[in-house]
Amino acid sequence: MTDTDAEVLIDARGVGKIFANGVVGLKNVSLRVKRGEVVCIIGPSGSGKSTLLRTLNALETISTGEIEVLGQSVHGAKADLNRLRTRVGMVFQAFNLFPHKTALENLTLATQIVGRLSAADARMRCEALLAKVGLADKHDAHPAQLSGGQQQRVAIARALAMQPDIMLFDEPTSALDPEKVNEVLDVMKVLAGEGMTMCVVTHEMGFARAVADRVVFMDAGEVVYQDEPERFFDAPDNERLRAFLGQILK
Amino acid sequence: MQTSSQRWWWYAVYVAVMIVLGVAVHAAGKRVEYTWRWERIPQYLISNDGTERNAPFDGFVSIAADQKTLTLKELRGGRTQTLTGFDDLLVGDGDLVFQNDPLARKRGWVAGPLAIGLWMTLKISAIALVFSMLLGLVAGLGRIAKNPAVYGLATSYVELIRGTPLLVQIFIFYFFVGTVLNLSAFTAGVAALAVFTGAYVAEIIRAGIEAVPRGQMEAARSLGMSVPQAMRHVVLPQAFKKTLPPLAGQFINLIKDSSLVSVMALTDLTKAGREVVASTFSPFEVWFTVAAMYLLLTGSLSIVVRRLEKRLAHD
Repeated sequence: MTDTDAEVLIDARGVGKIFANGVVGLKNVSLRVKRGEVVCIIGPSGSGKSTLLRTLNALETISTGEIEVLGQSVHGAKADLNRLRTRVGMVFQAFNLFPHKTALENLTLATQIVGRLSAADARMRCEALLAKVGLADKHDAHPAQLSGGQQQRVAIARALAMQPDIMLFDEPTSALDPEKVNEVLDVMKVLAGEGMTMCVVTHEMGFARAVADRVVFMDAGEVVYQDEPERFFDAPDNERLRAFLGQILK
Repeated sequence: MQTSSQRWWWYAVYVAVMIVLGVAVHAAGKRVEYTWRWERIPQYLISNDGTERNAPFDGFVSIAADQKTLTLKELRGGRTQTLTGFDDLLVGDGDLVFQNDPLARKRGWVAGPLAIGLWMTLKISAIALVFSMLLGLVAGLGRIAKNPAVYGLATSYVELIRGTPLLVQIFIFYFFVGTVLNLSAFTAGVAALAVFTGAYVAEIIRAGIEAVPRGQMEAARSLGMSVPQAMRHVVLPQAFKKTLPPLAGQFINLIKDSSLVSVMALTDLTKAGREVVASTFSPFEVWFTVAAMYLLLTGSLSIVVRRLEKRLAHD
């Protein structure tokens, strides 16, 4: 997938983040993601992985540095965030489906009021997406009637409904029962196979090894090490990463 | 867990206590040498007296031969007034009557002063409810706004209203605002209640919005929705469901608080109660009746809201 000449879709340079309560979230983080690349971000909790991901579509502000996504400055004064966000899909740990809407309505809502699709076009596109994530029979179910794995697949389809160029995944399987993890990872593998540009914060080392083009290790708000999965997991040239991997793969 | 026989035992205790309380109230009523005259009350709710037609001006009456048409000819002036469609004549042919004298009566059921007062209370409460919702929604959104001017205005409104008694606000609306803007007593009363209740509604709506998980707004924003779009389509519908029980409580308060507008020249249920007491000298019966009528309004509202809650509870 990695093509050295491919267009850079995400370019974060020297990003720092200090929260309102004074806690340092990110320290001088730089990350480049090219079109079609799948980048997995791993690290201990509190290391800033999710914070970094959330700065990429400006759900989180930054204190220093510069982030360009799809060639546009994300944190500049003139950023058209609503427009940019339609091109950057996001999947959350807690799914965040709209509980008062059916599965299909969760998908169609933004395509109609933001994407300005007609009701018929929205329905056609969104039904196809629900079928793609294996939930063709759940159109009219409300989120509370779905299992965690099904909810997360609806959430992925909802993000895809805006036809984004980039998909951000924020620990998409961390809130799931163990037996539901794979149904979500399988959908993500299909997406990766189709060439979607993806940034995935995850604890699923098997997924990172199998799917990622590059794995990034973060600790204490810094990018400590990044490499292609083989070397990353088998022979990393970094002491902190070896300690971390030693703990979780024990 | 309680067994079912224990539960029945406690139901019996409840009923027994209620009976003891009822007997105690009755005994207390006897001790004060009060003559209960419940039979006087129904006529103030609804009566079969019919409606009287009164003379619009001084004049002489002439009645047609079939007794079905009455003509009043003005004493000093050329006006005439013809009345038809009545059941009983109260004057004779050639009588001299003066303005507002009863001329004829149409038989039938008519609402008594208490029923008219109940209708007035219902009308004031319903209109105040609509405006307090609008005001509360605007102020509630202002309370969570990041803009300092909007936040400051909304917060001042809420604090000012919640920090002063409603009775004082009603006097200010009636005597000051009403005079400055030339408002009728009805408008001033409705405005005072709406402004008062709106402040509490604002806090309920703010709490409801804050009770919707942050992730909902984030998910909506991550799909490219603007803040107003996310509010309207995602956050507010969920907040509304959470605010329904406290809103119902607030609107029940509104109905009860509306009794305070009786200090203005407004004949609501409470004012009607005072007037009926003045003409019957039966304060105990009248006030118990008025209380029961308020309970009727608030109880019906509770039932409606409970139904609505059930219908909205799909998750």
